Amino acid sequence: MKMNLRHYLRAINAENIKEWKIELTYRVDFIRGLFEPLFYVLPAILYGMAIVGGRYSENLEKLTGTGNLITYTVIGYVFMGFLETAVWGMGFALRKEQWYGTIEQVFAAPVPRWVYVMGMALHSTMHQGLIIIMQSVVIYFIFGLVLDISGILPSLLIIGIMMISLYGLGILLSSLVLIFKEGWIISEILYSFMIIVTPIAYPLAVLPSILQKISMYMPTTYGISTIRHFLIGESLGFSVFDAVLRLLAIGVLWVIFGLFIFNIVDRRVRNKGELGTY
Amino acid sequence: MDHIVVSNLTKKFIKKGKRRFLTREKEEILALDHISLRVKKGELFGLLGPNGAGKTTLVKCLATLLIPDEGTAVIDGYDIIEDPISVRKILGITTGGERTLYWKLSARDNLKYFASLYGLSSKEAEERIDYLLNIMDLKEKQHQRLEKYSTGMRQKVSIARAILHDPKIILLDEPTLGLDPSFSMFLRSFIKNELNRKEGKTILLTTHYMEEADQLCDRIAFVNKGKLIVVDTSKNLKRSVSKNEVLEIKCVGNVENLVGFNAYMENKRDYTKVKILHENTEEIMDDVLKIIKEKAKILSVNVKRPTLEDVFIHLTGSELRDDYE
Repeated sequence: MKMNLRHYLRAINAENIKEWKIELTYRVDFIRGLFEPLFYVLPAILYGMAIVGGRYSENLEKLTGTGNLITYTVIGYVFMGFLETAVWGMGFALRKEQWYGTIEQVFAAPVPRWVYVMGMALHSTMHQGLIIIMQSVVIYFIFGLVLDISGILPSLLIIGIMMISLYGLGILLSSLVLIFKEGWIISEILYSFMIIVTPIAYPLAVLPSILQKISMYMPTTYGISTIRHFLIGESLGFSVFDAVLRLLAIGVLWVIFGLFIFNIVDRRVRNKGELGTY
Repeated sequence: MDHIVVSNLTKKFIKKGKRRFLTREKEEILALDHISLRVKKGELFGLLGPNGAGKTTLVKCLATLLIPDEGTAVIDGYDIIEDPISVRKILGITTGGERTLYWKLSARDNLKYFASLYGLSSKEAEERIDYLLNIMDLKEKQHQRLEKYSTGMRQKVSIARAILHDPKIILLDEPTLGLDPSFSMFLRSFIKNELNRKEGKTILLTTHYMEEADQLCDRIAFVNKGKLIVVDTSKNLKRSVSKNEVLEIKCVGNVENLVGFNAYMENKRDYTKVKILHENTEEIMDDVLKIIKEKAKILSVNVKRPTLEDVFIHLTGSELRDDYE
């Protein structure tokens, strides 16, 4: 029995399929999950429209180069979904196995730990993709979305590059929840912080200067701004090339850091006998 | 040739106690106390001991799920600390507990998932799963979710999962725990006849059922409070006390005054069972009964040949399980 990359890829896919099968046994919850993000974005859109008296904001245009409030906000919230993939989908991958009671059996298999987390990442990304399609279709029919179609392909590339760093974050969080019984608190704090310093529903210009500086270290800032640049012509404070380079650099760093912490945590829980403890 | 070589394996756990202001009481539990043993290739080796003896800790160390504090083990030439991935490739394991499978998935889907983790190709997996579902008599219900299975059926799937990748060595942690007699009988026969005799697998089995160890294992290790007490065949272990008989008295009342007779007492719900291992029970019977009668009422008196359980009690001073009768 040889374990090679092909087997690891098959294991990643098996993890993804397993999660889909389990998820689809809770059908009502699955359907609720598809529509849930709509209830986050709608209040933001409606509130914004009420304040500016329509879908166009002169001030937003002054700050970002684009004044379409609805498209600006929807892209931001769609993006927030990818952050959720990393923080909640991947972050709780191993906690879920603890909850199922299967983590020891899974960890007894000859597959590196990252394979399970990547399987969960694949599942979460596909799940999020489905939500994004749902969300976009519904909002298109209610409000109409004005996008530059030629910007879709480069946007997908930027999302792909940005996901590297979010996967690094997911690997890190998935290991931390093995140590901390209430690991969701760490995820919640990190998630809330990243939402504040990422230009999801507002431009960075409205943040205090210290938070603006911090946001420059967040992959989500480069990801979301560059995508808006491609889709709705947002003006950037940096070049696209610069954004790609920074996304790649942050991505590699976060993945290395995530794997490093993961290995330490793995050894710690196997030392303390806490692997199966929930 | 030895398939499993355990050298000086030691594992401590820290149990957290009550919190006192800023500090918390900590208690150190020695789960494995310098255990060394060897399991031969093709041997069915039993670890027999009461709950909390350290059996599961040893199995988890061998399966690389726990890192020992001292010592190591080598499994078919691979060190559990240095080369855990190679160890996992050649091991099959069932850990205790019912929820070690995905209850929301069918037996087939569970096995397909684990087949991928163990590197089986789709074709290999399908063939192997068909074979195992047939042999475990689960083919008819293969597409039913495990949440609808009985405990015994789930344990069958669990064992099928352990041998899915045709491992050389199998670790079975309490494989028949909580099963009804018919499932236990099926699994014991499967382990002995199919896995051990026919396929020649090396099996390390933990149990606290004396009759299971006696019936299945080529050699048995007694484990108690993290220590390895003795390793031998069931026959030799029983022979070590063969000159003796067991005087077994069931009574109600206080029997604490039997000091000096090397008596072992088990407190049951409605009575106390007194066991005395002696070369000639007739010689001591009158004295023992007289002492018991002083403070207790005798329900029954028996003289028996010693069982493996009696050997265990004789060597450790502990009983194997509290639900024995």
